[in-house]
Amino acid sequence: MDPKSTLTLVGLSHRTAPVAVRERYVVSQADLPSCLSALMKIDGVSEAFVLSTCNRTEALVVAPRGVDVSARVRAQLFRNLDEAQVYAYEDVKALIHVFRVASGLDSVVLGESEVLAQIKRGSEAAQAAQTLGPLLRPLVQQALHVGKRVRAETDLGQGTLSVARVGIDVATRVFGHFENQHALVIGAGETGVLVARHLRDLHIGGLAFANRTLERAQAVAGELQASAHGLDELPALVARADIVIACVEGQTTTLDASAFDRRLIRRRDKPLLVIDLSMPRAIAADVAKIDRNVLVYDLEDLSRVVHENEKGRNAAVEGTHEILVTELHKFLSLRTYAAFSPAIAVLRERFERVREESLDAIAGTRSDPAHLQLAHEITRKLLDVALDQMKESARHTRSAESLDREYQRFLEEL
Amino acid sequence: MIRAIQGLSVLLPVLYALCALLHGFAFAGQRSVRFDILRRNLFRVALCVHLALFVERGFAIHQFPIDDLWTTVSAVAFSMAVSYGLVARITDHPGSGGVTLGLVFMAQLFASALGSFVPEAHAGGMNAWAISHVTMSTIAAAALVLSGVHGLLYILLFREMRDRKFGRWFSHLPDLDVLAKMTRRSALIGFIGLTVGLNVGIGLAHAEHLPGFNYKNPEVLLSLVLWLHFGVIAFSGMIRGFGARRASYAAAGGLVAVLLSLFLVLLPHSFHSSL
Repeated sequence: MDPKSTLTLVGLSHRTAPVAVRERYVVSQADLPSCLSALMKIDGVSEAFVLSTCNRTEALVVAPRGVDVSARVRAQLFRNLDEAQVYAYEDVKALIHVFRVASGLDSVVLGESEVLAQIKRGSEAAQAAQTLGPLLRPLVQQALHVGKRVRAETDLGQGTLSVARVGIDVATRVFGHFENQHALVIGAGETGVLVARHLRDLHIGGLAFANRTLERAQAVAGELQASAHGLDELPALVARADIVIACVEGQTTTLDASAFDRRLIRRRDKPLLVIDLSMPRAIAADVAKIDRNVLVYDLEDLSRVVHENEKGRNAAVEGTHEILVTELHKFLSLRTYAAFSPAIAVLRERFERVREESLDAIAGTRSDPAHLQLAHEITRKLLDVALDQMKESARHTRSAESLDREYQRFLEEL
Repeated sequence: MIRAIQGLSVLLPVLYALCALLHGFAFAGQRSVRFDILRRNLFRVALCVHLALFVERGFAIHQFPIDDLWTTVSAVAFSMAVSYGLVARITDHPGSGGVTLGLVFMAQLFASALGSFVPEAHAGGMNAWAISHVTMSTIAAAALVLSGVHGLLYILLFREMRDRKFGRWFSHLPDLDVLAKMTRRSALIGFIGLTVGLNVGIGLAHAEHLPGFNYKNPEVLLSLVLWLHFGVIAFSGMIRGFGARRASYAAAGGLVAVLLSLFLVLLPHSFHSSL
């Protein structure tokens, strides 16, 4: 790492906090700029990045070495939260965590790829807020590269790859086939569209989108041969649906028992599946009590389903170990080499000055062009030798073996 | 011939046990083309062996082979296996094979262990009507047991999913929809079998003036109630408000009545014993 600065990561995730806690600390896309600017106001923080998904809220900051900012980041983002529910990592451990998150190794659904898009969105917000600098900008790029490489080169990228997909799998366990079922997707955001695509691929009988802005619903409904509706039509849409999936972004909609026709559900005696993929949750707890035929699941329930199916993917996880250590080594070597850049600039300037002085001393202003070319060639080659030596020493500052040991220790502490 | 009957009687429970195991592995997630071929072929072999046992018994006594208590139990086991095979084929799902074939194994184990390896011919034997009554009623009983078992499994899985537990039933049982279909389709097979079996049986009882037969007899009364009960379950898909959950509860309740009915019919002083 850069000897002058420290990389600090503070966050909470599905590993440390239940959904009821996580939903209180979600940073919506609209709130990202103000959150980033608040982090930048912390004394010593020179770069900041925030990743907020349905499973985690994390802040990455860079501060001068020796200045501990984790407590202040914690106070800023996770006020009034039990200490055990928040984790903090520094330098290599923070790097390892970021690469694991990008690889989907820390996700509810192992290997899920939605996190890559979420990192990208976080990086765009940070870029717009100008909070990315010489350490975080390459780090985010490297994390995205690692995420893609892990999915391309291991079996982790195969099978069920998103929470949305897990929701559909649960629906399959109830209905088997979807040809005669009607689905209502509340929220026409990215997850809503993903869910709708899965349902369309499974030949759902009827598909309806309900969204706060009707225009957005119409835009996605057109693409997926679905009907588009405003939120005011929810009770009528729910009455027709066999599957209701809420994918609401931000705390914009809440669906409670009053939207459901209790008598109708009881009369038709057919399962009504309600899946809440929103963070914070959009389905009120009383919906589960409407009737015995209503099955309600939220992200926490789906994570339990995933856990049951996760056992067979351990071999794929082992395959990611070598890739992550190699990429860590590459990143750290590049960072160390980048830290040498001021010294390299000085060295280059000194080499060129010595060359010019020597040429002046030997031939004055009437230098032979052949001699000039020779002198330039010798300086360039000497500089290359020096730079190669520096690169080599940068590579050995932290060996791959020591990183491997650190990675093992990190996994043991999880 | 007696040796062959003995050999087949010993082999059958072993075959059904293996079938139940392989279907159990299929539940637990074992999915490969070779494994599926082995599972299906072993099941077919078990059915062929079972059929061969009945043929051997028939040849040995030159009569309809289902002529005593434990052969009837074996016939119910065979019918359950055939009905399961048919329903699983229609629904295109190995379904609840582990549980159903486990029951078949138990029934056949008792039939092989307690039944006689040396069949005895009865004077006169059964006429064609009696044979068709026994055959159809046996098939019906097996299908109704299957319907009840699948209804029970539906309830177990539904309750687990409703409680958000995602435990053993969630991991190993087929989809709720498949269980509901198996419940209804088995009930339909049972209903058809019982319709034919009951009509033939009643006609036979009247024609032969069977001692002890009347419509107030618990055996007859229970059979009629079962016919009506499973008829409603079989066509519950068309009845508004009678969905999969209610049909499953009805089938699971009917299972107790089916077992009771079988018990009454197989009792030594049943009027059926004079058939």
